[in-house]
Amino acid sequence: MKENYSYVGHSVDRNDSYGKTTGHAQYVADLKFPGMLYGKLIRSTIAHGRIKSIDTSEAEKLDGVVAVITAKDVPSMKYGLSPARFDENIFCIDKVRYHGDKIGAVCAIDEETCYKALKLIKVEYEELEPVLTWQDAVKEGAPQIFDEYPGNVNTEIHHHFGDVDEALKDAYYVRTDKFQGQRAYHAFIENHCAAAYWEADKAFLYTTTQSVHYDQYHIARVLGMKMGNLTVRAVNVGAGFGGKLDTCGTEFAAIILAKLTGRPVKVWFDHYETFLNGHGRHPMTMTLTTGVDKKGKIVAHKFDCVLEGGAYTGLGIASSYYAGSLLGILYPIENYKFDCQRIVTTLPPCGAQRGHGQPQPRFAFESHIDLVGEAIGVDPIDMRLINARKGNSITTAGYEVKSYNLLAANRMARDASGWTEKRGKMGPGRGIGVGNGGFVTGAGFCQYRTDYPHSVGMVKVFDDGTRAYVYSNAIDIGQGSSTVLMQMAAEAMGYPYEQCQMVTGDTDLSTLDFGAYASRQTLMAGWAVTRAGAEVKKKILAKACEMLKASGRVKEGFGYLDGPLTTEDLECKDGIVYIKQEPAVKLTFEEVARKYFVDHGALVGRGWYHPGKLGGNHKGAAVGTSPAYSSATQVAEVKVDMETGEIECVDTWDVHDSGTIINPKLFHGQVHGAFYMGIGETIWEEVKFDPKTGALLNGNFAEYRLPTALDMPPVESLTLDESYEPNGPYGCKEVGEGATTPTMGAVANAIYDAIGISMTELPITYEKVWRALKEKKENGK
Amino acid sequence: MYLPDFEYYAPESVAEACQLLAQFGEKAKVLAGGTDMVVKMKNELLAPEVVVSVKNLEQLKKVEYVAGKGVSVGALCTHNDLVKSDVLKEKFASVANAARQMANNQVRNRGTIAGNIVSAVPSADLPPVLIALNATAKLVGAKGERTLAMEDVFAGPGKTVLANDEVLTEIFIPEQKMTGSNYIKFGLRKSGALAVVGVAVAVQVENGVIKDARVALGAVAATPVRAKKTEEFLKGKKVTDDVLAEAGVIASGECKPISDIRASAEYRTDLVRIFTKRALRKAVDEGHV
Ligand SMILES: Cc1cc2nc3c(=O)[nH]c(=O)nc-3n(C[C@H](O)[C@H](O)[C@H](O)COP(=O)(O)OP(=O)(O)OC[C@H]3O[C@@H](n4cnc5c(N)ncnc54)[C@H](O)[C@@H]3O)c2cc1C
Repeated sequence: MKENYSYVGHSVDRNDSYGKTTGHAQYVADLKFPGMLYGKLIRSTIAHGRIKSIDTSEAEKLDGVVAVITAKDVPSMKYGLSPARFDENIFCIDKVRYHGDKIGAVCAIDEETCYKALKLIKVEYEELEPVLTWQDAVKEGAPQIFDEYPGNVNTEIHHHFGDVDEALKDAYYVRTDKFQGQRAYHAFIENHCAAAYWEADKAFLYTTTQSVHYDQYHIARVLGMKMGNLTVRAVNVGAGFGGKLDTCGTEFAAIILAKLTGRPVKVWFDHYETFLNGHGRHPMTMTLTTGVDKKGKIVAHKFDCVLEGGAYTGLGIASSYYAGSLLGILYPIENYKFDCQRIVTTLPPCGAQRGHGQPQPRFAFESHIDLVGEAIGVDPIDMRLINARKGNSITTAGYEVKSYNLLAANRMARDASGWTEKRGKMGPGRGIGVGNGGFVTGAGFCQYRTDYPHSVGMVKVFDDGTRAYVYSNAIDIGQGSSTVLMQMAAEAMGYPYEQCQMVTGDTDLSTLDFGAYASRQTLMAGWAVTRAGAEVKKKILAKACEMLKASGRVKEGFGYLDGPLTTEDLECKDGIVYIKQEPAVKLTFEEVARKYFVDHGALVGRGWYHPGKLGGNHKGAAVGTSPAYSSATQVAEVKVDMETGEIECVDTWDVHDSGTIINPKLFHGQVHGAFYMGIGETIWEEVKFDPKTGALLNGNFAEYRLPTALDMPPVESLTLDESYEPNGPYGCKEVGEGATTPTMGAVANAIYDAIGISMTELPITYEKVWRALKEKKENGK
Repeated sequence: MYLPDFEYYAPESVAEACQLLAQFGEKAKVLAGGTDMVVKMKNELLAPEVVVSVKNLEQLKKVEYVAGKGVSVGALCTHNDLVKSDVLKEKFASVANAARQMANNQVRNRGTIAGNIVSAVPSADLPPVLIALNATAKLVGAKGERTLAMEDVFAGPGKTVLANDEVLTEIFIPEQKMTGSNYIKFGLRKSGALAVVGVAVAVQVENGVIKDARVALGAVAATPVRAKKTEEFLKGKKVTDDVLAEAGVIASGECKPISDIRASAEYRTDLVRIFTKRALRKAVDEGHV
């Protein structure tokens, strides 16, 4: 199905490379407006308590302070992801629920004065006992954090397919393992920041976000505004990884303070506050039971999972569903039982982070299945080959899967890595491991209920044809979505990519897209702009046909034409319209576009995308539906210092079934970055809190240890020729999040191969490995 | 995250610096690269009313070989000055290599050897290797100067014996009989991590016999510490794997680490055992590395 494309499949330069490499690119923090004020949030200094009083008088007296606001000055409408669990206020009204919870905001003439004012705010609390682990939260008599969540249970999920207990009885081998994940943080470099100003009754908000649409929807709802009265704009975004999908408080504060003061206001977080805002990976406690037949085919699987949510729900319900809903995509399992609870605690809320709820369950399952295989004498890759899904199939939960090449990915990773010669054969301290993963290519449902299309695109060609504007509120958060969308639109139009320009990140000027999450933009916004481009091309061909006929250059029956010239006889590529059978007879796109403008006004193409109704009828079936599923196999090779426990990942092979690759360079960038995040969470990263007070301990990049360049292995990023997705534009599907889901399993399994001990708790730190080795030695085994 | 208000001086000579320090007493702090101090000031852990920058003291930015005596390291040399010094590379590569393992390139370009010593952070990377090489520190005050053994500079976490008016001007590594030296830093990632344990050793080996040894440990006590029992044990022993391993065991008994956010005391103790053994092997086999 590979066609000869001009832009799709080519590593064209990113559209933002000039600005970002020269430093010209502006982020929200760089924006300045005349008369602008600065704002900062007032935060709780205890983890759990009732607010008795807030005294802002000293702060208000400080020179340079313009305003101080608290709950009494803002709407009390609650927000969250889904109406059943709207549980968060702009500012805490009665209770604070984590050390750092939002109590109000100060507004002053400069940043320094804001910090000084914060020190003068006096909050009196009636302190309540902090609840810092889910185990403590579910104890008899534990303090109740929210009235609406009895026993601190935020949600429960029970998905039962087939008859697990019966199938386990008949299984050849059954095994149960327990795993523990950690709280991780996105570590995007651009901190949260929002700037707002008003013109009459209309508010303008610049914010660093993954979705201008969801921000506009949620903020307008909470502030009681019409969506049309709130413009949300994104400029360059310094990454998000899921952390910029929900509001964080800067936006509300900026809009409200700007209204109150009549001046533009910018509210920003420093790194510590961005850490504090959290919304990263949920720690999960996972118990897995699998029954297999003699060959290793899974006959039943039981997955018990507890997510420690922190305070508030946010995207946490989706995280919970994702924890269990995607396993059945990778491996068809007829008898499957997923029981899950999300528990609230008095720590910063957890939320979505690359791969959403899936990476830790992937780690657990990929580790567990190796242990199952080992017990019955089946090689890890063979275990996966026996169980992997094939394409054009329907899952137990009723999801339709079109292209799916996990089998081929496993074989390629096995062969590229030299698996057969290495596994179990490299001696102590050396190991190789495999993990599978994948993800949805866009969620099948909107975050809130709506019948809107998921993405709307538009292309407008400039008057004289020398530029094409591609409209979409798909947000480029660094992944390069603007570049690939323009590639697809340019291809569809037959117009040079270099002359395209993105109009994005503006709810007034651009067109609806739900934003950068669920790895959706390349497919969904891709369809919208591709269709818009195709409509432009149709108009260009019609106009060209008319022009060629009028020019007298084509005559009926003139050799290559049977009848009168029609648009069927024309093609448009790279900005040239020509007669297919006689390419020398041509016009430029520009001259045709200009003529179109003269005759009809603006040359515009429109496109939109809706995935339609997608499968599954059980409660919660929405989470996991998608028009297309990616798959991936990673093999990692490690060295472990058998004395100190130090781990070094020396090589990786990363095979992706991502359909047609729209831009190879950007694709490999995603694979590389995803592995980086995955290995970081496997070995180094963990957000830590004081076990007594719940105060954040390592909200900085010295003690929240991301891997450095020296810790990164080379990543051999490979693709499959046969990968083509019929539901994606040009045959594409995702690579953004799926690529990070196999890594924890692959690296953990490599460590197992190296040290002979299964490490079941993330992160697998050097000290944990050291301790495990020591205990093994002391136990004389 | 903003700096407190302070008065700022940038004297042109050491004498002038000492005078200013004497004049302002406890209110004043010396500022070198600022990689330690500015961070503390922004985090509100330190608020000096007077800051005396030593950045203009060009004479303190040189590494020089003094024939027959040793290597003089100006106190304001940056870590990268040490990394790039030909003199150090030739005479005491172990010091240059210790500097290379510190922080990241940006911090190595600014941070100084004086700041690393005087900040007296238990995990600082340069003190152990300087102690192992028997280096001295020259302190100049308003009323005169004195020279101390490196290990005598430290008084506790964040504390030194420097008087308010004293400036550290020079570190001197004497010419010596030690045939090899080595520093191993163990951090929790390959770059940009503070030492969880740092072990420095210097040995004099003749005909396979250890004539003399110095072992200094970082990050495992309130100050960098000598492992004197280990040194005594090593003296006169033939170099064998067993002897070096035994030395590691003894050294691990000589440290008093704490458990913190980075590592447990138990882990640190065992790391001292492992790295003492490994550093000794390197110094014995490869010289000053
Ligand atoms: C990101 C980062 C990573 C780091 N990594 C490491 C690491 O890996 N290993 C490590 O050991 N350290 C590390 N550090 C700590 C620090 O960079 C070093 O200790 C550095 O050597 C400090 O030197 P400075 O010149 O910046 O000192 P400053 O911050 O200027 O001063 C530190 C202290 O020394 C005093 N002082 C400075 N010069 C003199 C003088 N001549 N006489 C008297 N007193 C003086 C100051 O008053 C102050 O109390 C790191 C710091 C950062 C920010």
